[in-house]
Amino acid sequence: MSADFRGAQIPPTAPTSVEPHRNTPSASGHAVRLKTLVIGLGNPLVRDDSVGLRVVKHLEQLLPAEANVDVTEDYWGGLRLMERMIGYDRAIVVDAICTGAPAGTITVLGPHDLATQKSASAHDVTLPTALAFGRQAGAHLPPDDAIQLVGIEAEDILTFSEECTPQVAAAIPRAARLVMSLLESHGANDP
Amino acid sequence: MKRVSIDPITRLEGHGKIDIFLNDDGDVANAYLQIPELRGFEKFCQGRLAEDMPNLTARICGVCPEAHHMAATKALDNVFHVDPPPTAKKLRELFYNIFFATDHTTHFYALGGPDFVVGPQAPKAERNILGVIAKVGMDIAGKVLKMRRDGHHLIKMMGGRAVHPNWGLPGGVSRGITEEQRQEIEKLGRDAIEFAKFSVQLFHDLVLGNTEYVNLIKSDAFTHQTYNMGTVDENNHVNFYDGKIRVVGPDGKEKFKYDSQDYRQFVAERVEPWSYLKFPYLKQVGWKGFVDGIDSGVYKATPLSRLNAADGMATPLAQAEYERFYATLGGKPVNPTLATHWARLIELTYAAENWVRLATDPEITGSEYRRLPTETPTEGVGCVEAPRGTLTHHYATDERGILTRVNLIVGTTNNNAPICMSVKKAAQGLIKKGQVSDGLLNMVEMAFRAYDPCFGCATHSLPGQMPLEIRLRNAQGDLVGRLSQHLT
Repeated sequence: MSADFRGAQIPPTAPTSVEPHRNTPSASGHAVRLKTLVIGLGNPLVRDDSVGLRVVKHLEQLLPAEANVDVTEDYWGGLRLMERMIGYDRAIVVDAICTGAPAGTITVLGPHDLATQKSASAHDVTLPTALAFGRQAGAHLPPDDAIQLVGIEAEDILTFSEECTPQVAAAIPRAARLVMSLLESHGANDP
Repeated sequence: MKRVSIDPITRLEGHGKIDIFLNDDGDVANAYLQIPELRGFEKFCQGRLAEDMPNLTARICGVCPEAHHMAATKALDNVFHVDPPPTAKKLRELFYNIFFATDHTTHFYALGGPDFVVGPQAPKAERNILGVIAKVGMDIAGKVLKMRRDGHHLIKMMGGRAVHPNWGLPGGVSRGITEEQRQEIEKLGRDAIEFAKFSVQLFHDLVLGNTEYVNLIKSDAFTHQTYNMGTVDENNHVNFYDGKIRVVGPDGKEKFKYDSQDYRQFVAERVEPWSYLKFPYLKQVGWKGFVDGIDSGVYKATPLSRLNAADGMATPLAQAEYERFYATLGGKPVNPTLATHWARLIELTYAAENWVRLATDPEITGSEYRRLPTETPTEGVGCVEAPRGTLTHHYATDERGILTRVNLIVGTTNNNAPICMSVKKAAQGLIKKGQVSDGLLNMVEMAFRAYDPCFGCATHSLPGQMPLEIRLRNAQGDLVGRLSQHLT
């Protein structure tokens, strides 16, 4: 049911939009209205670590008022991220990523695509483990194929600063438009 | 000298690695944690308004923003020379105990507990919260989720925000609670007590009922004779929010008891050229290196240390378990690091009981929850017990309240030296003459996980869960071997 951008990498110099795929019509011929969460992860005081928060702020300006989308922020992956997804049919997580790609590269991933996620910390488990735990506890959570991670390659995640590095800052509007494309592919913006 | 690197450590907030140095015989000479530093926080704060610190410092750490928020708020009381009214102090302590109960729940069930509940010999892939569910039953998933949900709900209700609290002010808090809110807090607190009782019973059934596990806890490989630090109330009972800092020796005797404003007279911070992190030690005992004993200034500040540094718990169920703890493990002090997991459950019980005690205090719904500061701001220290150890914030300002100097000693930093010592000891048992035994990764992991460590805790970028990797280096520093495993 999801448009598959998984694994798609958009380098810093590439055109900014991804061709949206419309949501598969339901049996009645109408796009399925999914309760959707977009969540930016990061620390607002650490240079490129804040990029996920900045992307969702930018996204809020792009989203039509009637969009069936909740946009929020958090600072933590794993269990906490899973708990934020409870009650939703679909989730898009926006966060900084460190893979060695050029700073500002945007990558779309699924919850299982990263064997190594920040979400596993001293106080947490991986997102797949957290999702499995939540489902075992009976929580209503998006299925794995309705969870997408939008990663923006960071350059500096160790310095306290309220500004991103230039390449990462330049990726913010592109990433926000990409999230819009992902949302449109599911008809979430349809009134 | 050979060098073994474990890089980076899984389940740590932030990225770190362990270097193990071998001598010419191939035996372990030393082991150190190496942590990338988050640069410039103190400088970042300078020039800002002091009253912004509870909100700024809450963002230092993704694991315990509430602890930083509270330490900063208490520091502001002292910077602005204002004593909060009783209702404000009780509201803060209530909030803080709710946070503590939630945090300890997560550590026990998701992180440290699986080593025991599922078993230290169980396959790595099963030693996680899903393994706990498989062993204990499906009901546990709902219980843990409810405990976390209730805690986060109340923290948001009192603190004003789900993500970071926006509540603490010099002289008090920004809002109180209504009677309706109080009733909800009390009800969920009673549920938390039941959850704590369930958790303690689980530990008794699955861990203490297993001689092998008890022997592992008591084993010398995980034992250190260091000083213990913790905050105590006027009866020398454990307190997370306020009190005097008490330090007891490896012999169990009180060495120091001091006001947190005087911490600099008692704690010094050693800098090592190979580490970004400082190594706090007891100034008046002195730094003798990474060694145990009464002459070494190394101290621990953990749930286990807090129990050792106190004479008891202030609530009945926690006190009863405290007595069982020492009776089972051979009296005070208890030095095996792995006993920290049990100590954490005793603290969970205390936090839940204290939550209800405060929620039923007649003053908790009072309308006087802030006293306005009127004096010129200067300098002050704020101290709380974070789940991982004593947390100290120290600020100095100019006469306008603009920050000129900031110093923080965070919970885990207290334990930097003991963690290195624990890793070294675990490695010594498993690396002989250059040969690395199976299980090194697991044993080293168990050694540091008991501390619930949290380093460089501000970043949140993916990827985060790294493979645990050991690199073996010979005396010349050349790579001679590599071990790694991905952890869930």
